[in-house]
Amino acid sequence: MAEEFSTDGMLDIYLFENEQLLEQLQDMVLEQKDADCFDEDSINEIFRTMHTIKGSSGIMMFDNITAVSHKLEDVFYYLRESKPHHVPHLELVEHVLEVQDFISNEMEKIRNGDPADGDASGIIADLDKFLEGIKKAEEGEGTEPVPENVHEEPKQFYIAPVATSASRFYKIYITFYPETEMSNVHAYKTVYALKEVAEDILYYPEDIISDEKSAEVIMEDGFKILLQAQCSEEEIRDIIGLGYDIKKVDVFECKAEEFLQGFDFGGQQAQIDLESSVEDIEARAQEKEEAKEEAQEEKKAEKPKIAPGDFVIKSKEPGKQKKLAKDKPKAEKASFISVNVSKMDQLMELIGELVISESVVLQNPDLKVPGLNLNSFNKAASQLSKISTDLQNVIMSMRMVPLTNTFQKMNRIVFDVSRKLGKDIEFEMVGEHTEVDKNIIEHISDPLMHLVRNAVDHGIETNAERAESGKPDKGKVTLSARTEAGKVWISVEDNGKGLDREKILAKARKQGILDSNKLDSEYTNKEVYQFITLPGFSTNEQVTEYSGRGVGMDVVVQNIQQIGGTLDIESSPGNGSIMSLKIPLTLAIIDGIVMETGNSSFVMETGVIKEFVRVKEDMMVDEPDGDEYIMIRGECFPVIRLGKWYGLTDYVQSIEDGIMLILEVEEKKVCLFVDKLVGEQEIVVKPIPSYIKKVKGLSGCTQLGDGSIALILDAAGLVE
Amino acid sequence: MDETSVSSQAQETQDDSEKKDVQKGMYMTFKSGNEYFGLKIQYVSEIIQFQAITAIPETEDYIKGLINLRGKVIPVIDVRLRFRQEPFEYDDRTCIIVLNVRSMLIGLIVEQIAEVVNIAEDSILPPPTIGRTDKAHSKYVYGIGKVGNSVKLLLDPDKLLNDDDLTAVEQTDDMTSEEE
Repeated sequence: MAEEFSTDGMLDIYLFENEQLLEQLQDMVLEQKDADCFDEDSINEIFRTMHTIKGSSGIMMFDNITAVSHKLEDVFYYLRESKPHHVPHLELVEHVLEVQDFISNEMEKIRNGDPADGDASGIIADLDKFLEGIKKAEEGEGTEPVPENVHEEPKQFYIAPVATSASRFYKIYITFYPETEMSNVHAYKTVYALKEVAEDILYYPEDIISDEKSAEVIMEDGFKILLQAQCSEEEIRDIIGLGYDIKKVDVFECKAEEFLQGFDFGGQQAQIDLESSVEDIEARAQEKEEAKEEAQEEKKAEKPKIAPGDFVIKSKEPGKQKKLAKDKPKAEKASFISVNVSKMDQLMELIGELVISESVVLQNPDLKVPGLNLNSFNKAASQLSKISTDLQNVIMSMRMVPLTNTFQKMNRIVFDVSRKLGKDIEFEMVGEHTEVDKNIIEHISDPLMHLVRNAVDHGIETNAERAESGKPDKGKVTLSARTEAGKVWISVEDNGKGLDREKILAKARKQGILDSNKLDSEYTNKEVYQFITLPGFSTNEQVTEYSGRGVGMDVVVQNIQQIGGTLDIESSPGNGSIMSLKIPLTLAIIDGIVMETGNSSFVMETGVIKEFVRVKEDMMVDEPDGDEYIMIRGECFPVIRLGKWYGLTDYVQSIEDGIMLILEVEEKKVCLFVDKLVGEQEIVVKPIPSYIKKVKGLSGCTQLGDGSIALILDAAGLVE
Repeated sequence: MDETSVSSQAQETQDDSEKKDVQKGMYMTFKSGNEYFGLKIQYVSEIIQFQAITAIPETEDYIKGLINLRGKVIPVIDVRLRFRQEPFEYDDRTCIIVLNVRSMLIGLIVEQIAEVVNIAEDSILPPPTIGRTDKAHSKYVYGIGKVGNSVKLLLDPDKLLNDDDLTAVEQTDDMTSEEE
């Protein structure tokens, strides 16, 4: 692929990587927005992220991004180094988000091929002012420059993987031959080899890479490793291996507590007696434990200076374990590759094609010749079917993406809007790992944003109102997702004031939507709440920046319907409302009933079909203007004859020769008359080529087993 | 391995540009009614045998429906109906020319494929304008190519596919001019 070596490829990678970094950054910042300050982990992480972005933007020569990230890096460098006490946390959060927005914005421009020409000077000035502010507050606070922090032992750590019961703990002592040169490098080699099996590994001296003096220490005291792994002593010995350099290896298994205790190489660092037994060593560890505090004191004194740019975290808690920083500060991480969506689509198409040609082969008329012995063929055929089904499942699962990112975006919206409106709002996410087809995710992002915004803006009352009605101070918005019956349910729940039935009714009356013959009380709550999804319907008196213009809910409903979903509204006055979206898991493959009318095949989604009925002529009711109805078990349904509806030829005329389908869409029922049913099958949905104008009642097409094309009927379109 | 694939790719792109040059002035011709029509060959993606078509309701009559081209669903149109000529019976000799117009695949049902001819640019004349309204200029025949003694009507596929120029008046206009 020659083009991957061009700068375009580099730019893509730059955009892709930074986008991910920014997303992580935002998640992290929002996670801690309610805390009093960032913890050291996050400060380091933000610092690192900015450092990376600064670096790569510098290479790509996007000066404004470089400048902004540099400034934020400065701020976090100060936070990291000086640990100021008085940091206005929310302000800081806003600054970080502002920078993130700015960079995202610029990257969007770059992606669209526009120059990244955003003016960063405003943000930089803000950050400068902010930094000055903290510095001043810090100076004013006292002259004491927080001495114990300065003398803190540098501690690199990561979140230790949880030890499972299968994990075993070892103390390993390695002695090198006295003539070994650069023993620190040899030691590193060993550590590196052990990392393969290690769940956790600590070693002393720890600075074996950059500190040449460590070689002397190793020669003198030996090299000590604490290892948590799931392998046996022999395996460890094998990994380390005796070589020309290593004179002796001692491996002792120890308990988890001892392991967590870590090394205790304080001032009274004892000579490790490699000959002594395990018991002795354990006893000594006990002894050392007692001497620990003392040791801590001395350790502080001999602490080496941190070179700028060293990514180390100073921990406030003394005695915290030193842990080796791994490349990723997260627990186990699966490895991913990113794949172009078009390639995925292509694969998907090919697999669909494979499934179809498979059925062409397996049901080939040539096989129907009498007297053929097909035993081994059938065996092979069933193996083939199994593989192709697996293949289909895999590709489907590859297209599934968790909702996490979408939900995180909502987190940001809640934060922004609630800050602007001065409402205290807690945001909770439930089931954000629910997986949904990628195409669907793209479609629900906007509607969800609307619903969340509405909940924050209209749903939740102002702080004062809440206090008045005696509710807890904090409003709460809950975003939850779950799968049920092949659908995804996503709901936005708030504990605000709920919908005002009277207000909605009044507005509906003003707009002339209400049936004048019907009493207000005859409308069910559900019907009333559905009014707010009509175009131009907003009960909010004031138009705010976020909502109230009456365009919104109708767009939400439209978007949701486009992907075959529905919106459900529940509300109880004073207690809040719940907006639930019900969305199909995937658009690409649906269960359908194949039927025939005239000479054409049609497919209808199984979910909307309530019943198949054979009907008698006397059940039909004809209206003079041509409309037909049917009475089934005392219920009257409108009838659509598919053949007539689409002006087909050669379709069954007599109602008794065909079959009637009862469809239910959004609580409306309608009967569809077709010639005959062919069967049920999983169908791969393909769009109708754009060249053909949209036909009412058709939502796509699909290929049947014999390679012919069937049209997919859209029940919602037929009902309209 | 990598090197060879890169170099072969380079070869291909070179081939492509050469092909384009070779393709210049080449026209795929087919017969519809009594006339021969020509399409620039770079629009032609392939020619396939006639196959079963799934009709789509509520569309223009010349849009015959959809076919399945190795897993791709593509619309097909009947050229004779598009030209407002009498419909014809499809048989074994009926072909579908698959065009790639602005990366959209569309099939044309034609009675008979003729041949690929070379028409020099200077032997292409603009269509005669006498008796036609101005609007007719933008119709799907953009030129008349002379090949020896015969004449091919050269088609602009873009306009052939998009139907916003046909009014009832023009339609009768068409009929008469084509009968002549």
